[in-house]
Amino acid sequence: MKNRLPLAAAGAGLGFCIAATVMHLAYAASDASTPYSQLDRFGTVFATVRADYVEKPDDKLLVENAIGGMLTNLDAHSSYFDPKTYSDMQVRTEGEYGGVGVVIQSDKGAIKAVAVMDDAPASHAGMKAGDTILQIDGTPITGFKLDDVQKKMRGLSGTKVTLTIMRAGVRDPFDLKMARAQVAVEPVTSKREGDVGYIKIPAFNDHTDSGLRAAVASLKKQIGPGIKGYIIDLRDDGGGVLDQAISVSDDFLEGGEILSMRGRNPEDTERFDAHPGDITGGKPVIVLINGGTASASEIVSGALQDHKRATIVGTLSFGKGSVQTIIPLNNGEDGALHMTTARYYTPSGRSIQALGITPDVAVAQGPSPDDDPYAELAEREVLLPHHLEAEGEHAAVSTVKPIMPPAGKKFDDFQLSYAVSMLSGDPLTASVDKPAPKGIKQN
Amino acid sequence: MKAYAFVGMGVVAGFVATVMLFPVARGAADNSAYRQLDLFGDAFERVRANYVRPVSESELVNNAIQGMVSSLDPHSSFMDAKAYADMQVTTKGQFGGLGLEVTLEDGLVKVISPIDDTPAAHAGLKPGDYIAAIDGTPVQGLSLDEAIDKMRGNVGGKVTLTMLRTGQKKPFDVALTRAIIHVDAVKFHREGDIGYIRLSSFNEEAGPGIEHAVSELKKQIGPGLKGYILDLRNNPGGLLDQAIDVSDDFLQSGQIVSTRGRHADDTSSYSAHSGDITDGKPIIVLINGGTASASEIVAGALQDDKRAQVLGMTSFGKGSVQTIIPLGEGGGALRLTTARYYTPSGHSIQALGITPNIAVAQGDETGIPRVERESEADLPGHLVGETAKKVPVQVIKPAPGKKYDDFQLAYALDVIRGKSTVAFVKSAEADPLNPAH
Repeated sequence: MKNRLPLAAAGAGLGFCIAATVMHLAYAASDASTPYSQLDRFGTVFATVRADYVEKPDDKLLVENAIGGMLTNLDAHSSYFDPKTYSDMQVRTEGEYGGVGVVIQSDKGAIKAVAVMDDAPASHAGMKAGDTILQIDGTPITGFKLDDVQKKMRGLSGTKVTLTIMRAGVRDPFDLKMARAQVAVEPVTSKREGDVGYIKIPAFNDHTDSGLRAAVASLKKQIGPGIKGYIIDLRDDGGGVLDQAISVSDDFLEGGEILSMRGRNPEDTERFDAHPGDITGGKPVIVLINGGTASASEIVSGALQDHKRATIVGTLSFGKGSVQTIIPLNNGEDGALHMTTARYYTPSGRSIQALGITPDVAVAQGPSPDDDPYAELAEREVLLPHHLEAEGEHAAVSTVKPIMPPAGKKFDDFQLSYAVSMLSGDPLTASVDKPAPKGIKQN
Repeated sequence: MKAYAFVGMGVVAGFVATVMLFPVARGAADNSAYRQLDLFGDAFERVRANYVRPVSESELVNNAIQGMVSSLDPHSSFMDAKAYADMQVTTKGQFGGLGLEVTLEDGLVKVISPIDDTPAAHAGLKPGDYIAAIDGTPVQGLSLDEAIDKMRGNVGGKVTLTMLRTGQKKPFDVALTRAIIHVDAVKFHREGDIGYIRLSSFNEEAGPGIEHAVSELKKQIGPGLKGYILDLRNNPGGLLDQAIDVSDDFLQSGQIVSTRGRHADDTSSYSAHSGDITDGKPIIVLINGGTASASEIVAGALQDDKRAQVLGMTSFGKGSVQTIIPLGEGGGALRLTTARYYTPSGHSIQALGITPNIAVAQGDETGIPRVERESEADLPGHLVGETAKKVPVQVIKPAPGKKYDDFQLAYALDVIRGKSTVAFVKSAEADPLNPAH
């Protein structure tokens, strides 16, 4: 036995050599067989930076920034979530956090408030959708990753934070001081306005549809059978979860298409239809929109407008008609791609992208620069760098002058007051320079 | 059992073990890089296949490279084939510009310094100013190259810059007309018994210009010449070899500057040859926040070799070397930071700038910045990390109510002459290691 072992060992050695050669060739072949010479080009640059940069860079950070660069240059809404941001996101869409109540987006480095949550510190302090946040507690944040901005904005409830804001139409940046609070994930709220039910949807999250149904039920109870109609307020609602937008639209429609989504391949077109059942029992509905109404909110508005189920009142919406899909990499261990994969179309085949939803009745909050609907254009999709182009013929953007509040009168919320008067028929509309709008169809 | 059987079993065993362990071994050898490249390839493929519209692979990779490289530091960037070709044209000076040396900070374009006698200088732009928009287009999201491209153009063309200045809450617009930026690097004149030399940029004329200035001043002033003032304020830098020549002009010996990078050829050291064109006369070098790069090399060399006193405010802190690395046919090029400059005492210019020996403010700065220097104990060998402890330095400024055309220059002249003709006060910070001054 003893003199056999060396033979076995020699054999093993030979086996090793053969295997190593075979494996090496196999790997080399598989490397070379990738059809993309572009990937090779990336690999070369990656190797050069690793070898030549003045200090040894972090490989992981290099590739994260590479993926980020690749995504952000596609269009205004595509981006890369690094692993930390991605795991934080899971938390955000589910639970509560101590913050100021503002939904932020990074617009090529500029940190913008896409939506300001009702009844939260930021909105109490006077923050508005469209505001650019320049500094948090004196630290400039332009160019920060969203994750880092969030970290700075969050903190123990009660602690103070100062945001330096730049607002379109206001020359100087200014400070807003506020105290952090437990901000509940934006819930649907409702209020009785005489015999009209008012429902505010601040964002489309997992609780939105159930919140809406509860609100309608509650208003029905409060107002009773004399209820004149509902106002669904989607102003400054930056969007959110697509299936919630579909459910909400479905809640008001008895049938027909809600939206279609078209991606890379025509075979991948998805359509979503409404099921029978209208939770309002066919009562008139007005949807309020403005320049901060985006994405999921535009889906709802577009569906209800095309089916003539609701009258859309307010000012031209944001114009974000593209769908982003989140594609985790390695189950999220390596973050996730947040990438535009489809455009969506209203039932009549309109693409919202870069065009927005034009209100049936154009009503502005007031004549001041802050409320000028044309000033809102500054925040609209078309002016985001790298926005996805509108397709085909561009519908003429409405140049109808909006209805303004009558001179000398002060309204807390003119658009809302106007909508309420449209449904209830009260004298507000008579004092305005335009003829009273045709009565909303009642059944 | 037959011998062959043993050998055979060995071969099989060895083969199988290797096949199973090979991926692990290969992975472990360079796990990080391969894994990261795989990850990139995965992301690339998903974008290529799923993005809402078809997008070219080379566009994807260009954007990836740009994202990767520009995240390293403000001076590293990627130029695609077109940008690289453009760059090679513009360094020949066939464009109209504004006369600004700029960098990128916090997503905004920051002015390092306006160059003397250029549209930017005439318009009153200052070191430390931020440019928020160019002709109304916000600068956020642009790379430094893109921003510079926007500012350059046809001679005579107009550009409006929206500026932000520390101490001023309101942004303000500045209208400029592009011009050919020709820099007269050296200007000099006699200040009584002292030779004053203004060096505004380190172009090819700098070295010869300095030599000419010194020889002329010697002639003009004669044997009573007390010393020289070398004014490097608002000099944003330029050619390394000129910086070395100028330093060498004043030094008999000693190191001038060293560069340190990852490889042997990024690491070098330059020393002075014997010969001091001023014959050992006292020199004061004037610096401020607009003094950068090549200027910091000169100031640092003369300061550390104790050949000159440096007077003014802390310099900009740009001491890195960029190398242009072409990426093959049609592949563009990288502009990559490959080394940093260190003064003779081992002080990193990039991290800290040059701290003046005598801190003097002009008095017209909105908010006089703190001047700090590293505490002596930490200096040598503090290259790793380069975060030495800092101590505040007293800053001299004009006495309240007093106005001077150029207070820093007036104070420097006093120092060389050993006189005190200007009225000044010292700021509150006391330097614990060096209380009297």
